Amino acid sequence: MIDYTIFYKTPLDPKSDWPKDHEWDLFISAFNSSKRVHDVFNQARSKEKHWLIFPEYKYKTCEYPPQRHFATNADSEADFILQFLSQINGQINNRRICIDLTGFIRPYQMVLTKILAEKGVKQFDALYSEPTVYAQREKTHFSSGSKCAVRQVAGFEGSHSTDTSNDLLIIGAGYDIELISQVAHHKEGAKKVQLLGLPSLRADMYQENVLQADGAQESLGPANTFFSPANDPFVTASVLSKIAAEYEKRVPITNLYLSPLASKAQVLGFWLFYHFEGNERPTSILFPFKPEYSRETSKGIARIWKYTIETGSRSSNNYSRSVPSRGVARKP
Amino acid sequence: MHPLSKNPFNLTKANDYSDAQINDYWVDMPYGTGFLGMLKPSSPMPTLILGGKGSGKTHLMRYCSYEIQKLRHAGRLPLAIKSDGYIGIYTRCEGLNANRFSGKGQSIDAWRCVFEYYMELFLSDLLLAHVKDLLGSSPEFKRRESAFCRSVLKLFDEDDSEGPTKLDSLINSLRSLRRDIDEKVNNCAITRRLQVKVRATRSRLIFGIPKAIQMFSDLHGVQVLYLIDELENFSEDQQKYLFTLVRERSGPSSMKIGARLYGIKTYSTFSGDEEIKEGSEYEKLLLDEHLRSNPRGYNAFARRLIVSKLAESGPRDDDKALAIKADDIDQMLEGRKDSRFYEAETQQFVMKYEGREPPHFQKLRSKLSSAAKASRPPGAQNAGEISKIIDMLRVPGFPLLEKVNLMLLYKAWSEGANLAKSAHSIAGMCAEFQQPRGLQSIYGVTYGHFAQDLLAQLFRESDLPQRYCGIDSFIHMSMGLPRLLLIILKHVYNWAIFNNEQPFSGPAISAESQRKGVWEAALWFFDDAKSKGEEGAFLQDCLKRLAELFREVRFADKPVECSLCSFSANTSKISAKAKENVELAEKYSLLIRVQRGQRDRNSMRVDAKYQINSLLAPLWDLPIYRRGALPIDTELMGAIFDPDMVQTFDKLVASRIAGMNAPFHQKASKEKSAQQDLFYVVDTHD
Repeated sequence: MIDYTIFYKTPLDPKSDWPKDHEWDLFISAFNSSKRVHDVFNQARSKEKHWLIFPEYKYKTCEYPPQRHFATNADSEADFILQFLSQINGQINNRRICIDLTGFIRPYQMVLTKILAEKGVKQFDALYSEPTVYAQREKTHFSSGSKCAVRQVAGFEGSHSTDTSNDLLIIGAGYDIELISQVAHHKEGAKKVQLLGLPSLRADMYQENVLQADGAQESLGPANTFFSPANDPFVTASVLSKIAAEYEKRVPITNLYLSPLASKAQVLGFWLFYHFEGNERPTSILFPFKPEYSRETSKGIARIWKYTIETGSRSSNNYSRSVPSRGVARKP
Repeated sequence: MHPLSKNPFNLTKANDYSDAQINDYWVDMPYGTGFLGMLKPSSPMPTLILGGKGSGKTHLMRYCSYEIQKLRHAGRLPLAIKSDGYIGIYTRCEGLNANRFSGKGQSIDAWRCVFEYYMELFLSDLLLAHVKDLLGSSPEFKRRESAFCRSVLKLFDEDDSEGPTKLDSLINSLRSLRRDIDEKVNNCAITRRLQVKVRATRSRLIFGIPKAIQMFSDLHGVQVLYLIDELENFSEDQQKYLFTLVRERSGPSSMKIGARLYGIKTYSTFSGDEEIKEGSEYEKLLLDEHLRSNPRGYNAFARRLIVSKLAESGPRDDDKALAIKADDIDQMLEGRKDSRFYEAETQQFVMKYEGREPPHFQKLRSKLSSAAKASRPPGAQNAGEISKIIDMLRVPGFPLLEKVNLMLLYKAWSEGANLAKSAHSIAGMCAEFQQPRGLQSIYGVTYGHFAQDLLAQLFRESDLPQRYCGIDSFIHMSMGLPRLLLIILKHVYNWAIFNNEQPFSGPAISAESQRKGVWEAALWFFDDAKSKGEEGAFLQDCLKRLAELFREVRFADKPVECSLCSFSANTSKISAKAKENVELAEKYSLLIRVQRGQRDRNSMRVDAKYQINSLLAPLWDLPIYRRGALPIDTELMGAIFDPDMVQTFDKLVASRIAGMNAPFHQKASKEKSAQQDLFYVVDTHD
């Protein structure tokens, strides 16, 4: 069990200038129509700023931003990110990198952080802006479209056991009831755990979250519920670590499946847990892929968080990752 | 512990059961050969087990698995395995995460080779682990272990004479080979390279190891039964590979493959793209259809299933005890009250309208008054005549008979008869009907056919809830899908707790709790269609339109069919899109195909016939038991099921219904003939 809360988490003021040491060499953000994404892009100080335009947002070329951007119709999330990184000049592992997670589509977010770590980036910052409110509260649609294909995220397909008698699926349950049901259906044989965001981003969002998650109850079956803060990837990773350890103690987990469907901060927490502990047991990250995502789902910026991620050390192809052992206290 | 957590129906999926629960909750069909007789696990003939979601495929397949054989025959292994004649190797396709074997810049052929090799290793690993578990401690096994390992290693393309001589090591080598593939497949997403050395030809291990295990006397003559569940998780190409194995099957091994009705993407094989042949190469077991076709057996099975769920943990009840308790379930749920002309059921209605004109007479008065100004129906041309007609049709205390009277009057109106004379005649028939042997008259036939529909009309007109209650109703509503029954009971139980009742341990569960529970189950079932994506959402719309049509007919003044929840159509004439959606609705169990079809009354052609899943009935106040079937023409079928034609639906339905509602301005000839059939032919259906 790892305590991830030793990582740095810093609040940033959306209404005033950020401290002078908040400057990067490379700033990456996902383009969508949300004001909180654009405000942060404008406010961030960086030598290079890149918009990623994901095909699922269905932007026409004439709607692309004037700033430097990257768009392609890749055959997978990994292909998209690989193509993007291949057109960045120079080495990236010695640059100060910042990613604004707010507009990211979750699988792209996980693949980007994975590949940065694989390319030897030892540390990067991730920003997440909390909305004041979701556009249509608990009825907000985050995704749409005909097909929904549940599969492992490229690069997060672990080596699994033939024994499936005690498989565990941990779902970071967000607002999208259909996505929760799809994942639960896909791993019908697994025991289910749902992780709800508590404390939520705003006080009323917890109730909205519960209302939605309850709609998926029949698909989930007898699922246990755990909680982690919706805006804290480090507590989320620690809670995941604790859940896995507790279940492992009862009966060894045969296969572990993770499905982060809630806030991008929680997605980062799932990634951290997979990154540092995924090798300990057969583990995969599952995601229900939809062909289209809503461009704008929220109103206002309540708070901005900066998370400083240290990816651990690596040697050749054989990972030996470790969480930083410094006993630093978290900044408030 | 919270009372809701004690709900014995909380677990509804076999996937959520532990091995012990699979064994404990096993209930067989009481009549015939039972489930194992249908599956024939010791037969070498492969079987494709098809069924809707919750039809019991997984429970049946897991019951045949080695894990449950071990529980079932505790202390008697391996002798009992020999007596069973098979050792069950159960796996779910879902566990392979098969969709990772595609894309990533690799060719279809490359993935096919890697996937086939992976499957060889996967199934061999499972089989060898079970062999080790079964025989590990036997002296014969220890003596021959090395020879056995050698014979398995010989199945690989490159004979590794230096390979492991212990079964544990051999299993570990297979796992290591598989892990190597996992890693390469995983990394391929990033590296775009896939370099896997395939060390075994297709089917060599899967059919070779079952031959090799015959060297042990305990397994001599024992068939290896691969139980491969949830085939819907395989791509078309992967299913093709599995069906190729079915075709190439050899030696002491067989396969039972489970899939949802919509899960089969192909029957093709890699043997020249030929399809596998039903009958000679495999058998098909349509599980829920089989259960539906035997309602008596299914009812008895379902009752036993409930008893097994209600039973506290402890020693299993014997069959006789199960049968006795199964009959007790009727007393645990409040059912419909038996009384003459539904007097008890309609008591609430009578009380509600004491001293007031009930809604059915208000409606008739209003319709006749409007008509008196326009078409002037004979015998009802002014308020006085109308009042006299209504007075003749009154039957105080028996509102259902009043509804029958009104239906007959509406029929007379539609035929242009003198309504005063008709009312007089109907009143006479009604009085006669209340005497003994009244059932044989036209009045009796109408009552016999339409009592339930007219009762539903009474409740609807007076804003009283429809009654869906009683264990037989719930069993029927599950349509051969036991999981639906458990889901209904789960919600009923929860509502009973909410209403401070003591479900299944105190007085009978109230009709109110049952109604709310079954409504919630119906809503879940309908919403679950959404999980199939946009096609599921469109199917929901199709079902809504179809159910609305049925509801319009059922609640019409002069319904043309009784107990309407099914339709017939010439599906060879409807558009391809409409046909596709009808078939899809059937695959998702939203529509249930009636096997014998329906003979068209004019052409004598046998049309396809479908029933809307009875669990959906409460959402539109429809009947759960099928009797009449509404013939639907090509145009209306398109308006219901074809996305390009739905805009015509409202207009077509209005035109169809016009002939069934007073003042019968647009009486369609088809409706007239159908109506006459109903009144003069006792049973035209099925």
